Order: sequence, then structure tokens, then C-alpha cells
Amino acid sequence: MTDRHISVGQAVLPVGLTPDAITLLRFGAVTRNAHRIHYDTEFARSEGLAGPVVMAQLHGCLFYRAAAQFAGEGGQVREVEWQNRAPAGVGERLVVTGTVRSVGGVDGEITLDLVERCGSGDVVCCRGRAVVVPG
Amino acid sequence: MFRNAELELVEERARASLGTWERRSLGVVRAEDAAEFARAAGESTPRLVDPGHADFAVHPMYVVSLLRGAPGADASEFRPDGMYRDEVPGTDGLGVRLMAGGQAVRWIAAARAGDRIELRRALTGVERKGSGEGFVLLTVEKVYGSVRGTLVEVTERFIVR
Repeated sequence: MTDRHISVGQAVLPVGLTPDAITLLRFGAVTRNAHRIHYDTEFARSEGLAGPVVMAQLHGCLFYRAAAQFAGEGGQVREVEWQNRAPAGVGERLVVTGTVRSVGGVDGEITLDLVERCGSGDVVCCRGRAVVVPG
Repeated sequence: MFRNAELELVEERARASLGTWERRSLGVVRAEDAAEFARAAGESTPRLVDPGHADFAVHPMYVVSLLRGAPGADASEFRPDGMYRDEVPGTDGLGVRLMAGGQAVRWIAAARAGDRIELRRALTGVERKGSGEGFVLLTVEKVYGSVRGTLVEVTERFIVR
């Protein structure tokens, strides 16, 4: 367990990703996700979207990375949760930030509140939380 | 069929299948595939992206992000929108729109290269939400396991419009 001092309200350092069309193709292929809203612009628009959108699991990966980075070397990520609030389009910058919600849980667990913003307007596209044990 | 009638049918079908557990094999985890996943997700941590690394680890999001295992699916298993016909309960054959609502992932143990993964899942919640026609919110519980026992539990929500 860490001897880092961690306090409620402490910032979770940001992690970012700018998924382009190639990213979505690669991610869709390796997860066998063929949903057309992720690569077919005309179809995505017919669904009421501005264009192809980022997969839910890719948002989850960014939440995981933010939590793992906070947990540090030898740390553990025990839970990650996110709710989709707005679609994120191809080429939009995604950034997950957060704060420490609580400390001193079971086995030194720390709960983080996380939020993912996308694009130049900083639209909140996902909100969530993570439970980590720092290394 | 009118959209509202389709949503009502989704709701009816979903309620009829509440609590029914089904199984699906996701095949054997390959280190190379997990590393490819990590790279596609934008990771650069050597132990996640290099299968030859001494401390290589399967990216914890890999198994729970897989919609199918190898060798994939036949053409007949897809909806016209590219989703799998059985991915979102109650929607097979209907022209409804599907969106992911979010997930809660709880890791019990790490998946390892060589693990044969079995997924068990059940629909556990059906809610009609919103005004007007609104939408149907489905909650699915998933349990991923191997011969070593349960590895990951997931609560996933789908929005059907």
C-alpha cells in the first residue's frame, strides 16, 4: 500500500485521446464491433447523430487509464463505471479528469469521481467513477 | 411498424426474458490480440502493448469490450445497422435505434493469455423513460469467467429508441 498522502478533493491528472476514423476502425475490428454508427457517416446521420461516434468501450478505456494512472505503479483498479451523456464524434479530443471523492475504504480503497469532456466546447460526454488501491 | 409499436414490442419481449441467463463463449485470450486492443485504445504502457514484455498483462478492458470471440459471426447474425441480432435483448428484427448507455465494471481477477472466457448474461431491468414515445432503458448483468472462476462483473445499459 502507498505512503502517498491522498486527500478528498485532490485532482486526478488528465488523460486524453483524439480518436480519428482509423482509431475507430482499429478498435471496432479488434473488439468485433460492426455497429455502423461508428464508421458510416450517412447511417450515423440517419440515426440523428452528427456523424460517426466513439464506442462506449473506448470511453471506458480512457476512464480506466485515468484511474490506473492515479493508482500508480503497483496500484490496482478495482472498479470503473461511466454513463454516456452525449455522443463524441470522430476527431474530437477526449479528456478525462476527476477528483478524489473518498479515501479510507476497504483495503485502502479510494473512490474517484471522473468526467470526460469532448471537443472544443468541453461538452461532458461521460460521467463516472472508479475505485482504486494506490500502489 | 410504427416506432411506438416497435418500442412496446421491445418492452414486452424484454420483460418476458427478464432474469433468463444465457451463455456465450468468447474463446481463448491471445496475448497478441490483447496487445492489439491496447494499442487501438491509445495505450503506450509497454506491459500492455508488448506481448513479449516480461510483465505483460492483458488490458483489463479487453475481455469486457469484446462483442464476439474468434472466429466472429456469420452474416445472418447481424442487424442491418451492424449490431449483433442478440446483443440488445428484445430488439431482433425491429428497426429501433440502439445506443450504449454506460457500464459499471468490477474486476475480481485478471484475465490472462490462455484463459478460455465464458460470458454469462441476463437482462435484469426494463424501464420506459422520457416523454412522448420516449425510449426503453435495458439493464444487462454480465459475468465473465474462466476455469479459475469469475474474472469480471459488468452492469451494462442500452438505450433503445
